[in-house]
Amino acid sequence: MAKKIRQIAIYGKGGIGKSTTTQNLTAGLADSGKKIMVVGCDPKADSTRLLLGSLAQRTVLDSMRETGDNVTLESIMKSGYQGIKCVESGGPEPGVGCAGRGIITSIGLLERLGAYTEDLDFVFYDVLGDVVCGGFAMPIREGKAKEIYIVASGEMMALYAANNIAKGIQRYAQKGGVRLGGIICNSRNVDREIELLRAFSEELGTRLIYFVPRDNIVQHAEIRRKTVLEFKPDSSQAEEYRKLARSINENTHFVIPKPMTQERLEAILLQYGLMDMLDNYKI
Amino acid sequence: MNKFVDRPRFSCALGGALFTLRALARAIPIIHASAGCGYNLYTTGNAGAGYLGGGYCGGTGWSSSNVVEREIVFGGTDRLSEQIRSTLELIDGDLFVVVTGCMVEMIGDDISAVLDEFAGEEVPIVAVSTPSFKGNSYDGYDMLLGGLFSDYVRQGVEKRADVVNLLGLVPGQDAFYKGNLGEIKRLLERLGLRVNTFFGEGETLENLKNSSEASLNIVLSDVYGVKAADVFEKTHGTPYISLPLPVGAAQTSQFLLEAADALRLSREAAERVVADEEARYYDYIERIADIYNDVDLQRYAVVVGDANYAPAISRFVADELGWLPRLTVVTDELDGEETRRIEKRFTGWESDAYPLVKFDTDTSSIQRYFQDAWEPSGNERYYDSFSPLFLIGSVFERDLAAKLGVPLLTVSFPVTNRIVLNQSYAGYKGGLGLASDLLSTLIAGR
Repeated sequence: MAKKIRQIAIYGKGGIGKSTTTQNLTAGLADSGKKIMVVGCDPKADSTRLLLGSLAQRTVLDSMRETGDNVTLESIMKSGYQGIKCVESGGPEPGVGCAGRGIITSIGLLERLGAYTEDLDFVFYDVLGDVVCGGFAMPIREGKAKEIYIVASGEMMALYAANNIAKGIQRYAQKGGVRLGGIICNSRNVDREIELLRAFSEELGTRLIYFVPRDNIVQHAEIRRKTVLEFKPDSSQAEEYRKLARSINENTHFVIPKPMTQERLEAILLQYGLMDMLDNYKI
Repeated sequence: MNKFVDRPRFSCALGGALFTLRALARAIPIIHASAGCGYNLYTTGNAGAGYLGGGYCGGTGWSSSNVVEREIVFGGTDRLSEQIRSTLELIDGDLFVVVTGCMVEMIGDDISAVLDEFAGEEVPIVAVSTPSFKGNSYDGYDMLLGGLFSDYVRQGVEKRADVVNLLGLVPGQDAFYKGNLGEIKRLLERLGLRVNTFFGEGETLENLKNSSEASLNIVLSDVYGVKAADVFEKTHGTPYISLPLPVGAAQTSQFLLEAADALRLSREAAERVVADEEARYYDYIERIADIYNDVDLQRYAVVVGDANYAPAISRFVADELGWLPRLTVVTDELDGEETRRIEKRFTGWESDAYPLVKFDTDTSSIQRYFQDAWEPSGNERYYDSFSPLFLIGSVFERDLAAKLGVPLLTVSFPVTNRIVLNQSYAGYKGGLGLASDLLSTLIAGR
């Protein structure tokens, strides 16, 4: 029987560190011998930069625009760190066209071109911002990613976005097999962040699968177009990403999320996030 | 979620806009939509309107940007720009109008930015947004006219007391629009007015362009054209009145007197016109008095039609043919206010023979209302049956007519079983035409 590819979608608020987390996480999985494809689902096409060491990749939609249907897999798929297959969906210029349709088109094209080969253990979809429309939910539709992780931090807007994304997941989960695998905290060093994230995750019916501490080494690696694992493999942050990779690899806890009301979300924030700050606004 | 419509009697907003443009002499549509929209709408509108044809530049020759997936993802404005350029090169027209389909509206193509590229062209190019998620083909007529009224019709023109515009008959949705407009125009001209119908015999784009001279817009409908007239009033300061489409002598005489009053024309002069028209009208009607009574041509009637035809024809058969309309179904999507306006048309009839009035878009609903309109047979020894009955509707009523074994005259959209040329059902002449078509059906075997 054909081996089942674990398809995983990573969602989260814009700027939260989805791409950085995804690339370091996949680098960790690749280090342990897993075969991986990363599909960037963001018109900015910057989801695989650290794995490839460059931004030079031609996106699926660029190729389609230029050559019509004569796109070849070789022209859009590049091999990155540890042989991770990297694909960028790409999309229209800001302000025109329909980026959501672009995601649908490019995933459809990847399927037609046979990108989902049997040797793969994982396919990761790194999806832009909120699930703003049906197109950005394409990676979690029937037959695609069955596992979702939401990247969040202790900041209110990140949790607000995560809750919103959970609503989208709930809708699809009730109809299909997609499940939430957990929340990944990409720490912003907010007060009592881990407690807040744990409470938030619990309220959603899931769990905080990993707490990635904040470390400037990530920025140092990024500026060199590298994952932390490639840049400083023996750093403590690299070890954190390896642990995240292990948690994801071993995860068996998949749920239909129970998104909360705005009032409930704010109540949790008040309870965990802001208590120490009530009379201390120092940054 | 909205309910679905079972066999709708309209197409989409783009369809309404396209058939309105088809009726406008030397106006060239440029469709910015997916491949297929234009062709499908043409085949629907052509056959449904008694084979209206494509016109000067229409039907399968319509210019269309035919956007495909590439344009949806990356935006379709470049494709539109190219299409406008080639259309200007290939087609000789006096007005080019970009009309849009749903998908380019959903992805937010900036059409007006594209038109800016063509600002230096000699021929006017106008864009009207006609996405079908904003309405059906009746709304498309209003959107299109609203766009032309604000962007094409001359601004700042001095008003002329004797000029009026006619609105409210939707080309294509009303298969008889041209004949109807011709008859109403003829009658208003008899009152001493100059009349722009935009789509009538011999009219050109000049009629539209200079329509801002009009001192009044007469909307021959309680629903269609009202929004466009509103735009006209806001843009050009011309007020409007809404009067029902008149069919036959009683309604037309009332229409002419109301129009004359609204325009402050001499009541006496209007009455003279009415008297003269009625004399001519009844001279014809008189002919059928014998056959009507000899073979008993009185019928029960069920009328199915749009918001213009359904009340007008129901009243015509009741007040002028002496028939008994028992059920009228208005098949449009109407809001509460529009529904109330239509309901009011079922008051003040001479005959007092009012039907049960239902508002329903679904073709399959019509038979269901029979039970409300007429007590079904309970196997009584003596049962007063709903017979003889005549069905006046669209070609969608053919199955029902066959099942009931009753004659059918198709008047409202779709009218695929007739070739409609200059026939009219409006005014005095239209009333004679309708009487003749209805009664001819009954004596066809003689």
